[in-house]
This record gives sequence, C-alpha cells and structure tokens, in this order.
Amino acid sequence: MIKTNDVCKVVETSEGALVILEGITLEINQGESVAIVGASGSGKTTLLSLLAGLDSPSEGTIVLGGDQDITMMSEAQRAKLRGEMVGFVFQTFQLLSSLTALENVMLPGELRSDPQAEDNAKKLLDRVGLGHRLQHYPRQLSGGEQQRVAIARAFASNPKILFADEPTGNLDAKTGAKIIDLLFDLNADFGTTLVLVTHDARLASRCERSILIEAGQLVSEVLETSAATA
Amino acid sequence: MKLALKLLIRDWRGGELTLLLAALIIAVGTVTTITLFVDRLQQALLLESASFIAADRVISASRPIETALLARADEYNLQRSATVSFLSMVFSDERAQLAAVKAVDDGYPLRGQLIIADEPFGSGRPTGAGPQPGSVWMESRLFPSLDTRPGASVDVGALTLPIAEVLLKEPDRGGGFDTVAPRVIMHLSDVDRTEIIQPGSRVTYRYLFSGDEGNLKAWEDSVRPDLPEDTRLYGVKEGAEEIGEALSKAERFLLLGGLLGVILAGVAIALAANRYAHRHFDHVAILKTLGATPARIDQIYLVIFIGLGLAATLIGAALGLIVQAGVAEVLRPLLPVALPAPTMKPVLLGLTTGMVCLLSFALPPLLTLRNADPVRVIRRDLDTANPSSLVAYGFGGLGTFGLMWWYSQDLRLTVLLFIGGLVAVLILGLLALLLVRSGRQVGLQAGSAWRLAVAGLQRRQLESALQILAFGLALMLLLTLFLVRTSLLSEWRNQIPADAPNHFAMNILPEERGEIRAFLDVAKVTVTPEYPMIRGRITALNGVAVAELTRADGGERGAPRLSSTRNLTATAALPKDNKILSGAWFSPASQVSEVSVEAEFAKSNGLKLGDMLVFEIEGRTLSAEVTSVRSVAWDNLQPNFYLIFSPSMLIDFPSTFMTSFFLDADQKALLSPLLRQFPTMTVLEVDALIEQIRTIVAQVTLAVEFMLVLILMSGAMVLLASIQASLDERMKQFVILRTLGASNQLVRSSLALEFAVLGAFAGLLAALGAELTVYGLEREIFDLDYTPTPWLWALGPILGAGLISVIGMLATRRVLDQSPVAVLRDLA
Ligand SMILES: Nc1ncnc2c1ncn2[C@@H]1O[C@H](COP(=O)(O)OP(=O)(O)O)[C@@H](O)[C@H]1O
Ligand SMILES: [Mg+2]
Repeated sequence: MIKTNDVCKVVETSEGALVILEGITLEINQGESVAIVGASGSGKTTLLSLLAGLDSPSEGTIVLGGDQDITMMSEAQRAKLRGEMVGFVFQTFQLLSSLTALENVMLPGELRSDPQAEDNAKKLLDRVGLGHRLQHYPRQLSGGEQQRVAIARAFASNPKILFADEPTGNLDAKTGAKIIDLLFDLNADFGTTLVLVTHDARLASRCERSILIEAGQLVSEVLETSAATA
Repeated sequence: MKLALKLLIRDWRGGELTLLLAALIIAVGTVTTITLFVDRLQQALLLESASFIAADRVISASRPIETALLARADEYNLQRSATVSFLSMVFSDERAQLAAVKAVDDGYPLRGQLIIADEPFGSGRPTGAGPQPGSVWMESRLFPSLDTRPGASVDVGALTLPIAEVLLKEPDRGGGFDTVAPRVIMHLSDVDRTEIIQPGSRVTYRYLFSGDEGNLKAWEDSVRPDLPEDTRLYGVKEGAEEIGEALSKAERFLLLGGLLGVILAGVAIALAANRYAHRHFDHVAILKTLGATPARIDQIYLVIFIGLGLAATLIGAALGLIVQAGVAEVLRPLLPVALPAPTMKPVLLGLTTGMVCLLSFALPPLLTLRNADPVRVIRRDLDTANPSSLVAYGFGGLGTFGLMWWYSQDLRLTVLLFIGGLVAVLILGLLALLLVRSGRQVGLQAGSAWRLAVAGLQRRQLESALQILAFGLALMLLLTLFLVRTSLLSEWRNQIPADAPNHFAMNILPEERGEIRAFLDVAKVTVTPEYPMIRGRITALNGVAVAELTRADGGERGAPRLSSTRNLTATAALPKDNKILSGAWFSPASQVSEVSVEAEFAKSNGLKLGDMLVFEIEGRTLSAEVTSVRSVAWDNLQPNFYLIFSPSMLIDFPSTFMTSFFLDADQKALLSPLLRQFPTMTVLEVDALIEQIRTIVAQVTLAVEFMLVLILMSGAMVLLASIQASLDERMKQFVILRTLGASNQLVRSSLALEFAVLGAFAGLLAALGAELTVYGLEREIFDLDYTPTPWLWALGPILGAGLISVIGMLATRRVLDQSPVAVLRDLA
C-alpha cells in the first residue's frame, strides 16, 4: 500500500541546510494500522506529510496505492490521488470555518460530484454522534466535537488510507480516549489502512505495529505490539 | 460549478464576503452616482449656459443663408430660430437715438428667457418669447433718452410701432462693449416693412439651433463644409467667453474627481480582495488535502468571483441610481434649474468600472490561491502566504490606466496622473518602509503602550508600510482634490467680486464729469476713476503706412486688424487684471509718447517693443512708441482696451470719458433721472449679465462640492477597508496579550497609538504627495496660479492620525469588547 525508499527531507533555513528526515525506508500494507512514534520534533509530522503527498521529499521515492510514485507527480495529480485514496485527521481539526458541520463533511463528496454526498455526510455525522448538530459552525462546537466532524469528513471519501497526526493532541485525556475509540471503530468498519502519528505510547499500542523515529531517522520497527483491536 | 456556487453562498452566509462585497458595491455605487449626477449636472449646465447664446449652436453670417441649408437641421430633429440685427435710428415724437435693433421670430429664444418689465428700470418678469408682430420692446435707458414711455409709439425706419414692453435682459446680449447702442427688439416679419435693410447695409444674421447633443454634433459635421465663407458656427464655449473658461475648468475638475473615485474604488477592492485571499489560503490548503486540484481551485474561485462581480455591479449600479436621485431631490431647492433626466450611459460606465476594477484588482489575488501549499494544513507558519505579486500589481496598474483613459478620453491627463501616481506610490512606499524601520529606536525608549504599538508596526514591516501607503494615498487624493477645488472656487469668486461695478457710463462730456460725479455721490454710489475714451486708428507702423503693409503681405494677412478703428484711452494706473508681459508700465510722470499694447493684438499684428505707431484721431495724427505688452482678462467684465496711451497724451484731444459704478436693485431707479439729466451719456447695464454668470458659477461650484463629498466618502471607505484588512493579525496579537493579563486599557491605548502612528506617517506622506500633485495639476491642467500650502504639512499628520485612529478604534471596538476566547474562535 505504502512503500518508501531512502526518503530524505532537507530544508533551507537561515542557519543553513537542516536535515529533518534521512534514509527513511519503510513499507505499510493494506488494512494495516501503523503508529509513528517519537519525541516532539523528531520528524513525525514531516514524515506523515510526505507519505500523504502533501509535501515532496528532497530525495527518495514514495509509492502510494501499489504502483504510483507520488514524488514524480504534479500537484494536480497528487490532489486527485488524495481525493480518491486518502483521508486526513489533524491535530488542529482543520475545518472550514465558514461551513457548517454538515457542509464540512459533504465537501469531499461534493468535490467528486457525488450525488449522495449529503445523505452520506448525514449518516457519518450520526455515526460520530453529532446527528443533532448538523447546522452548527465549527466555532459553535467544542474541540472534541470538531474532531469528530473532522473524522466524519475523513471517512466521507471512503479512503483507502487514513492519516492522523496527533488527533488527540489538542484534547483532554477523557475526550481524547473517546475520539480514539471512534477512530478505531470507523477504521475497522471501513477496512482502512491507518497511519497514526502520536507520542502517546498507550495510543500507539492500539495499532498493529509501531515505527519509532528519532532525530529524523528510523530507529526500529517494532513489528508486533499487543495488537489491541476493537 | 455547483460546488463553487454553493461555496459562494456558504461564504456569504458565513460573513466571509461581506467586506469584499461591500467594497465592490460601494465602488460601483460611487462611480455610478458620480457619473450619473455629473452627467445630469453637466446637461443642466449646458442648458443653462446655452442661454448665453440663446441656443446650443449659432450660425452667424453677414448675408442670409439659404433655406435649404438651414432646413437640414430638421433632419437632425433640431429646433431652429432666426434673428436679424442692425443699427438704426429710432425716433420718438421729439428725439432720435441710434439703437441696436434685433428682429426675432416666434421660436426665439431657444434657450434661456427674456426678462421684461412694465416700467423702465422696473422689476422684471421672465418670458419665453419675443414681441408680437406689430410691436417693439425697448431697453430701459432708451426711454429717458427718447423721452417716451411704455405704450407710446416709436418710428423704426418706415414703420411706426407701439412699445409693448420694457426689455430688461435678453439671454444672448453678451457683455462686450461693441454693442453699446441700446436694444430695440421687434418681430422678424416686420423687418421688410421698415425698409431699413438695403443692399450694402451692415446686418448680422444669426440662426439658432437647439436639440440633443449627439444630433447637434452630427448636424455640425454635416453642415460645416457647406457653410459660405465668413460665416461662423459656434457653441456656448466659444460664444460666451465670460463662462466658457469656468465651464471647461469645472468639467476637468469633475473628470479628475471621477478618476480619483475610480482609483480609490480600485484600491478598496484590492485591499478587500487581498484580505479575502489571505483568509482563504488555509481554506484552499484544506480543500487540497481533500483532493481539489489547482485547476479546480481556479474554477471555484472564478465562479465565486463572477457571482460576486455580477451581484456587486448590479446592486452597486442600482444603488448609484437611487443615491443620485436622492441627492438630486435634496439639492433641488438649491439648484437654479431643473435637472434633466439621467441618461443610461453613466450606468453603463458604472457597470464597466465595477467589472474592470474587479478584474484588475480582485482577480489577481484570487488567482494566487491555486498556489496555496497543502502543507499549510500541518505547518501554517511554513509559507508566509502573500497573495499579491508583481503580476497582480501589473494587472491593477493596467486596469487603472485603461479606466482612466476611457473615462477621461484624454491621454495627456491620464498619463500625467498615472505617472505622477506611480512615482508617488514608489517614493511614498519607500519612505513608509524607512519610517517604519526607524520607529524602533523611538519605541525602545517609550512606555509600554508605545512599545507595544511600535512593536506591532515593526513585526509586520512590509504590511505596515503598505498600509501607510494605502492610507497615505487615499489621504493624498482627498487633499489634492480639496486643494484644487479651493483654488478653483477662489478663482471663480475673484472673477466677479460681490461689489464689482455692474454699470458702465460712456460718452461723458468733459464738462459734465463733475456734475455726474456729484449726482452719484449724493446717491452714495461709489464711482471708479474716469478713463478718457476716444476713437482712432493706426495709420503707420515704423514709418510704413498700414495700407502699404497689408498690401505687401498679400491681402490683410500681415496685420489683419491693425487699421480698424478702436477705442483708445490714456491712464496712469495699470487697469485691474492687466499684467505686463514685457516692457514696463508708464512711469507716473511720463511725458513721452508711449503706448501699451494688448498681447494677442500685438502678436496677430506683429507688434514689438520699440515699434513706432502713428495714430489718426479726430483728424489729427499722434505718434507713440510701444513700451509695454499686456495681458488682459477679457472675462472680468471691466472696461478693457487693446491700446492704452501714457496719461498725458490725450489731454489735447476732445475725448469723452467713461466710468463704472455699482448699483444694487434699489438704486436702479436712479438711472432714469440720471439719463434724463445727461441725455448724451450712455449707460451700459451688466448687472443682469453678472447675475447670469453668478448663477452658472454657483451651479458649477455646487457640482464641484458634491464631487468632493462623494470622493471623501469613497476615501473613508478605502481607509475602512485597509483597517479591516489588517484586523485579523492585530486581533490575534491582542487576544494573546489579553490572555497574558494585559489590561483592556493597555490593549486599547496601544492599538490607538498604533493607528495614530500609522495615520501620522500616512498624513505626512499625503501632504508631500498632495503638494506635488496639486502643483502639477494646477499648472498643467487647470491653468491656475499655484501657491504653496505650508499649513498642509501640519494638517496632514494631524488629520491622518485623528482619522485613522477614530476609524480604527470604531472598527475594532466590537472585537475588543468580546472575551478573548470568542475572538479566538472567530479567527480560527
Ligand atoms: N519547513 C521547515 N523549516 C525549518 N524547520 C522545519 C521545517 N519543517 C520541520 N522543521 C523542523 O524539523 C523538525 C521536525 O518537525 P516535525 O516533523 O514537526 O516533528 P514532530 O511532528 O515529530 O514533532 C522540527 O525541529 C521542526 O522544527
Ligand atoms: Mg508533529
């Protein structure tokens, strides 16, 4: 499903070139759930954005969904691929402030001109427990509620891969736990490949596998975990 | 497409579009209002000023013009009328007087009105037509000279006609001193029976035309080539010197105002669109993570743009229509004439302006949205998104230039303003950046509110500089317009001071000078010094006879008007509004034979300083050297002369004298006894003419003031838009400060200070820019005398600081009163 080969990311800063990621080679299979763990600043988010095609690596190849090297694609092609295959959940929710909860969730379907977009979105919002808040704007929702809307939106495109970057990072422990439960529930229902970035070991342990990043380098692949599925 | 429309509607509902839409609507609305109202005012002005020639166009000829040629006007739907003027003696029972007779048909006057009265020098009433066949109307001063009264009869040539009315004023009388003889008006159908017009008589035929301006132009193009030689076809600007100048200056001012309005509207739109694009960078990044391609983004924002444009231009144009109708209604009691209905052209102009503004100012920032990097979603600080680019500025510049050109139809004015504006923007931008940079030192030594304010400006150097530039530009345009307006109005006011003499007395015999002065002194009428006046002509130039001169040059080309008989005078003091262009005015005690020549006259006859002229006056000759060349303000309604001798030269000649004095309405009755007592003297009344000019000038002034108010309004809008555009960033900073425990007082005063500093800088730049622009405009475009305005340098910064902080604080008040959390959520 996802396959990288010797990926590097170097950025130019005012103090010279800064190597953020170096020599990342990994493989993630269809239907797998993988946690990317590591200390803050180790390069997890950068890796995630590369895997998802939001950003381009300085070196190396990334193959997404079998045969396509996304590093060779134009932004338009990558966008198309994202629309078809990929869903996102972000630490900072990233809802469109001028759209209601329902409209935010409808958006992926509407971008694909799916006539079912609205019904689909309503069902998903029901599923995440917000069926009664369809017409509310993001600013009228709590952080946990906004993240649920974001999760509903991530699944609205029926993605093959879901990328989540510290989805509980902005939430308190109790709400975070509920969100994680929801995320794994939906993931199981949809049979999605899940790539989850976190620095929370407990959360990582719910994935089938963990990848540890330290200072931009892949330290070890913890092949099996206590594989708690739900 | 559908999605884009949905997003548009959702954006609107979410309040994202309000500012952009408002900026657009106001821009289109202002331009439509201005053009509509100016169009109507201009139409009214044309109508009103057309009364100066009693028509829109006049053909003047010394022989009758063929009926077939005249009838061509009918094809163009024009009204026409005809008048015939000649000099003739008019006889009462006892006396005779030379009169300027004018015979008019039933159509006369096509524009304007005649004012008549029951008694000589009585109070008048307007009427729309001349005398009936078989009667005459006579000017007041003829009654005492002929010793007759209304109702009696006079002989005009072979015809005896009753005097039906006293004529106080005819619209196309004009102010020249060529038509000194008193007026008699009769019907055109009676002329033949007077048997006055014989072959060889000096007669002027005037054919008057009126109608729609477009038709008039087409007709003019068609007849002009077919007109016989020595006929003249003219409109009011050529036909009425007294107001032509004022009219064209006013037109130029309105044009200038309209141009500035367009620029201000463009700036407002650009600012609002920029803010919209900034806010939407994150939205686009999110859309991209959801799979929207750059092409899709373009498509979405193009639809949004078109939808927005259509809504804004239509609403704006409708608003413009309503506002100008309201303004016209409010101003109706102030306007001396009814405003003609608006035409559709200005609406079209407003619509086009809106669309072009939109294309050149709003589209470029929106099109940069496609470049938003989806990584922004994760790392917002990554690229400091700057939707404005060189391309965008290029677009804006091009659009502005095109609009200005189209609007003014004047490439010179457009290039002048555009280049000036560009240079101003560059210089001001650089200065603004410098000012912001140097603010740091000041800031470090100041109290905490100051430090915060300066830190705020520092943090966003480029934006602050841009903002100062936008404020400065808006202020500069407003100051410029205000200064030009003030110069124009004062010029117009000075043209005819309130107590300017409105009566001229001529043919005063030397022995009557004292008595007449005494008569007027008793009535408390102030009289200007008398000029001697005598007729004479030039017979030789530098020893060569004028007849010889003109022949040698083949016809009259070399000195066409040199030998005509003219009014000559002699005086020690340079007359009012005359300026010496070369040479020197007579020294007070000059005993030599000197003459001062008017500049145009000197030019067309090839006269230079040092030329010796020989005059023939009353059968005697007199020679004099040209020692100065003067310019004369022909439109100042004062006695003006081509040729003036040094004071002592005419003493030995039997000259009569002329003088002028001011009479108010109550004093008019004095004229009757005055003229009865001194029957040889001639009094020329120009009070009605002055009144007519004042009316026009008042109207023009009103138009200018109205324009200023409208532009002030759109200027205020630009200020508001630019403050709004910076609001998000500011608010974020201050919410953080608030959550850190900064008191509301501190936040408020540092914000106010930040605005005040911005405003003061902007005001300073505006003063600089305005001074330069006004200098260029007044010299190049308006032909005015430029005077520096030092107070501007003090006023600019104060005005800027005050205005910006008031508008800024008003715009931020709502937000400052909310809790930090609410603000943060709004900004999220
Ligand atoms: N565009 C960039 N410019 C400079 N430094 C960057 C950039 N992107 C990431 N970094 C740095 O690279 C390191 C890794 O960042 P990130 O991937 O966000 O880490 P994590 O998500 O593991 O906390 C951090 O030190 C971050 O500051
Ligand atoms: Mg991270």
